[in-house]
Amino acid sequence: MKNVIFSTTGCIRCKIVKDFMNERGIPFVDKNIKEEGREDFQQFYTANRRAIYRGPDGIEFPVFTDGVEIRQGIGSVLAYLQGGKKLDGFVSIGALHKEWVDGLHVSSGNPEYTEDFIAVLMYLKGRGMKLKLDTNGKNSHVLRQILDYGLADFVVMEVVGPLGLYKRILGAEIDLNDVEKTISIVPQFPKYQFQTTIVPVIRQDRVPPIISYMTPEEIAETAKLIEEVTGSKKHPYFIRLFQPKEAQDERFRQMEPISPNMLFTYRTAARAYQVFTEIEKH
Amino acid sequence: MTYPSVYPTGVTIYNPEKCWNGYTVFQAAEQGALVIDMNGAEVQLWKGLYGFPNKLLPGGYVLGHTGERNPFYGMQDMIDLVQVDWEGNIVWKFNMYEFIEDPGEKPQWMARQHHDYQREGNPVGYYVPGMEPRVDGGNTLILCHKNLKNPKISEKLLLDDTIIEVTWEGDIVWEWICSDHFDEYGFSEEAKNILCRDPNMRPNGGGMGDWMHINSMSVLGSNKWYDAGDERFHPDNIIWDGRETNIIAIIDKKSGNIVWKIGPDYNTSKELKALGWIIGQHHAHMIPKGLPGEGNILLFDNGGWAGYGAPNPSSPTGRMNALRDYSRVLEIDPTTLKIVWQYTPAEAGYMMPFDSNRFYSPFISGAQRLPNGNTLITEGSGGRIIEVTPNHEIVWEYISPYWGKVIKLNMVYRAYRAPYEWIPQLDPPKETPIERLDVKTFRVPGAAPIGRKKETTVEGVLPPHTPPPGFAPLCVAADV
Repeated sequence: MKNVIFSTTGCIRCKIVKDFMNERGIPFVDKNIKEEGREDFQQFYTANRRAIYRGPDGIEFPVFTDGVEIRQGIGSVLAYLQGGKKLDGFVSIGALHKEWVDGLHVSSGNPEYTEDFIAVLMYLKGRGMKLKLDTNGKNSHVLRQILDYGLADFVVMEVVGPLGLYKRILGAEIDLNDVEKTISIVPQFPKYQFQTTIVPVIRQDRVPPIISYMTPEEIAETAKLIEEVTGSKKHPYFIRLFQPKEAQDERFRQMEPISPNMLFTYRTAARAYQVFTEIEKH
Repeated sequence: MTYPSVYPTGVTIYNPEKCWNGYTVFQAAEQGALVIDMNGAEVQLWKGLYGFPNKLLPGGYVLGHTGERNPFYGMQDMIDLVQVDWEGNIVWKFNMYEFIEDPGEKPQWMARQHHDYQREGNPVGYYVPGMEPRVDGGNTLILCHKNLKNPKISEKLLLDDTIIEVTWEGDIVWEWICSDHFDEYGFSEEAKNILCRDPNMRPNGGGMGDWMHINSMSVLGSNKWYDAGDERFHPDNIIWDGRETNIIAIIDKKSGNIVWKIGPDYNTSKELKALGWIIGQHHAHMIPKGLPGEGNILLFDNGGWAGYGAPNPSSPTGRMNALRDYSRVLEIDPTTLKIVWQYTPAEAGYMMPFDSNRFYSPFISGAQRLPNGNTLITEGSGGRIIEVTPNHEIVWEYISPYWGKVIKLNMVYRAYRAPYEWIPQLDPPKETPIERLDVKTFRVPGAAPIGRKKETTVEGVLPPHTPPPGFAPLCVAADV
């Protein structure tokens, strides 16, 4: 199996990944898509168009393949080189550029592989990158390690709702103590933000289900939860609109979006407990 | 602006027959919200109540503010907007726009209001027949500040203008942010260049760019243009003006987008050139339906210094690159941009340009259209409020006797006239005419009267010429 990395001229992220492979003794072929690798990449792209992400700024490099899997972006490629597919939950293609790396998900990965995830973060941090991580409260012990090692520069916690709705919104069991622990850890990072998306909630799971958006009162409860766990009303707290068209759950895709002006009502409700609450621009 | 050392204050001219008589409210420097009658009697002072501006409401209510943010940290931020009754009780209050923690100050919610607000029921905040502002409910539009960064404008911290709509219960239900629409304002590359480098930086709060400086905001209300099908003038739309950019704009209430605008450059069409450069203006609003001139835009075009553009000898950097040393009150047809009525130094009877600066307030000021067609003009920097007829006769004049100790001016930000019935607690006052004094014979005690003790004829002295217009033998040409 032949490892190929498609890189581009002046791509620091590509260089970091190549350094990683050299240091670990992983053999690879480097193809610069602006020079000798141009045609190879065009063929590769044509054959794998669906597997390659093209963002608003174009294709994110480096693009790596071992002949079976394709990984793209500094975080994803390093994670794959470090731990194979088992780190997929922790790392995805990010959207940030320059010195920032995101797409690092504390709650989505399998905690059995925390050591490998930490190793990836350490490598990135050691190469001068700034790391933005996200969490929904799960895997607080992973976040604790990240804090202890000083690996994250910015942590965004999606507090999905009041504790009473957490399981219903996530659609899975979750240890609520884990969520509270995460809330208490998050403000200890150099930069952080709590946020909540006003999602539809399945109130009664029957046919047809009764679904309604989180209410301003429930957002207030969420803000109150953050206050009660941290003892402070002064956290950066951000309320976001749910986009039904982007929903994975078919039942949510049919819903009417909330009017952006309704966000003000949610903000007012939340500000009773988090005075710096802001809302998504529309 | 050419003041002698000694001159009268209070009411100096009053013709009850030609005036639209009522009470006048204004913020008297470092005194509070002051109401005077037509003879200048001070019938009520809400002591210490701030007014940026003060406005009367039917029933003897006044709107104002209980305090201002420490200027070391904020720039013209009023901490709240309150409605106060005749006895001084606060009956409505809004302050929950932003939670502020200034060093050494009590952390608190602030409205960060500045320059204007409008209570539902009335579009402009002054008397319009049949359009009474609500006093026990309704929403309020409030002009506020917000600090933010917008790299399209500058890398520097901006003091941005926002407009919010607040319910009687204090909930914000709508917000508009000025900088979000930067691409719609039509700035030239020269203007963008200086805006980027210096968005009118003020030292407050460690430095912030007061780049637009909106100083008035009102609703269009029902109007003939919309009735005729012109969607730009939807009654819910909002008109504002930005003193630092010379822009007057109308925004669509639904989308927030600009739907009508003049400025920032007045050289871009023959209509704008004919209108002339509007500089540092204040109080641009649409005259509400039911008042003479309804549908026209009335404003106080200060002159002074404002705008961003190409550098010139008076503006080496291009900031505040438009200058004029007199003021104009303009009434403009918004569909043709033609001036329908104006009050400038010429209409005031001053010879231009030699005497133009006698009608000049380079900052603050305003204009209110009255039901009889008169216009109440606040020439603010000199603390002068006048009522002029459509034929430009001054039928009422008042000079504020209150000079500040901190700001050593008798400035009046903006005065409003309200009908007697808006203050039912008072009987309508006696109206005593005040004849205009002949200043040629008016003397202070001890000064000699006009007239010669001896007059001597010198043989051979020629009589003065009567030159034709434009030929006056003066050092500079006259505008005649």
